[in-house]
Amino acid sequence: MADTMSHEEVTDLLALESVGALEASDRDAMESHLATCAPCRLVAAEYADLASLLPAALEPVPPPARLRRNLMAQVYAEATASPSVPWWRRLIAAIPANRSFTVVGAAAVVAAIAFGIWGAGRTGAQTPVAYMVSGTTATGNLDVGTGGTPAVLTVKGLQPLPSTKVYEVWLIPPQGSPKGVAFLSAGPDSSAWTAVVPGSLAGYKSIAATVEPAGGSPTPSNTEVLSGQLGGS
Amino acid sequence: MHLSDDDIVRSISAHSPEGIEALYDRYGGLAHTVALRILSDRGAAEDVVQESFLAVWRRGSTFQPGRGSLRSWICTIVRNRAIDRMRGDHHRTRLDTPIEGESIEPAVTDPWVAVALELSGEEVRKALAELPAEQRQTIELAYYGGYSQSEIATAMEVPLGTVKGRVRIALDKLRTSLADRLETPWQTQ
Repeated sequence: MADTMSHEEVTDLLALESVGALEASDRDAMESHLATCAPCRLVAAEYADLASLLPAALEPVPPPARLRRNLMAQVYAEATASPSVPWWRRLIAAIPANRSFTVVGAAAVVAAIAFGIWGAGRTGAQTPVAYMVSGTTATGNLDVGTGGTPAVLTVKGLQPLPSTKVYEVWLIPPQGSPKGVAFLSAGPDSSAWTAVVPGSLAGYKSIAATVEPAGGSPTPSNTEVLSGQLGGS
Repeated sequence: MHLSDDDIVRSISAHSPEGIEALYDRYGGLAHTVALRILSDRGAAEDVVQESFLAVWRRGSTFQPGRGSLRSWICTIVRNRAIDRMRGDHHRTRLDTPIEGESIEPAVTDPWVAVALELSGEEVRKALAELPAEQRQTIELAYYGGYSQSEIATAMEVPLGTVKGRVRIALDKLRTSLADRLETPWQTQ
């Protein structure tokens, strides 16, 4: 398209574009001008930055925690074909977002352990470590594979939960807020629960689990049902 | 560790999931607020935010530093998708009043951004309040309501050219009021 617009005319369109009011019929002309006009591209950036401040005037409405988890579950699932993504993250990505026990989830846990053993044999890395965890009714182990990741938490003695609740697993640093890292998935008869704990445990002093609303919480909102100290073993 | 916006862009360009994670942690709350304001439907807003970040993940970063800040880039992506969705939904009723926050569990957000937004929110509201009513309403209908130029003209019963003029004059006034908050140095008059 031939560019017949003046800078002044384009500036008007850029202002409209920045607030989302530009008509589709004007867009081609504006883009055609921008393609060859550096000063107007600068104006476009300036208006875009100015408009991006406008949401600050709105009362912030934080997204639910499930949105982040669903998004990242999808991202990691799609990253499975990418060799740049660590294998253990690909395994975690294979676990469904709602973390209820499924064949895929169970397979991922089994595969995580198997890969850990395989990895140990392959790399000759350090000996796997198991940390004890316990609660009023629950006992279990956090088994750390070679290389520090992934750790697999296996717990017995937890009560079944309604579909609106989950057991969320937290890593607790010496200072600062606990970090939600996983959900426990129940076995077929709810006698054993498992979770793959991604990332390194370095820098955390303990692990715990609490009952949270489905989708998880940004911080623990209930008393822990189990806990265990990390390190020192 | 606090990543800069440049760090996040590099990470996204390298097709790193962690880049999307960092982008969401920094701007997910802002994106959700924008989408919800336009769509006034929590489910639809969540869909739009997720689709927007997935699109960034799948396409890689198309962010061009010369065309605005990372914040404006992701805001534009989310706004455009929200408006596309709204215009595809003929049964939707537009909201003319602010959405009141409901009790909802918050996601983790970048504290740096939260502080910045808290500070700039009052400034932006004050700057908007200082605009003449017809200019403020034009900006609000466009940015927060998702109205196009012709839709605003119809709603306000004014010519298209009047809408165009009001938007530009209003933005120029806001630029003066909010100069300290702009990431791109404003060099034009």
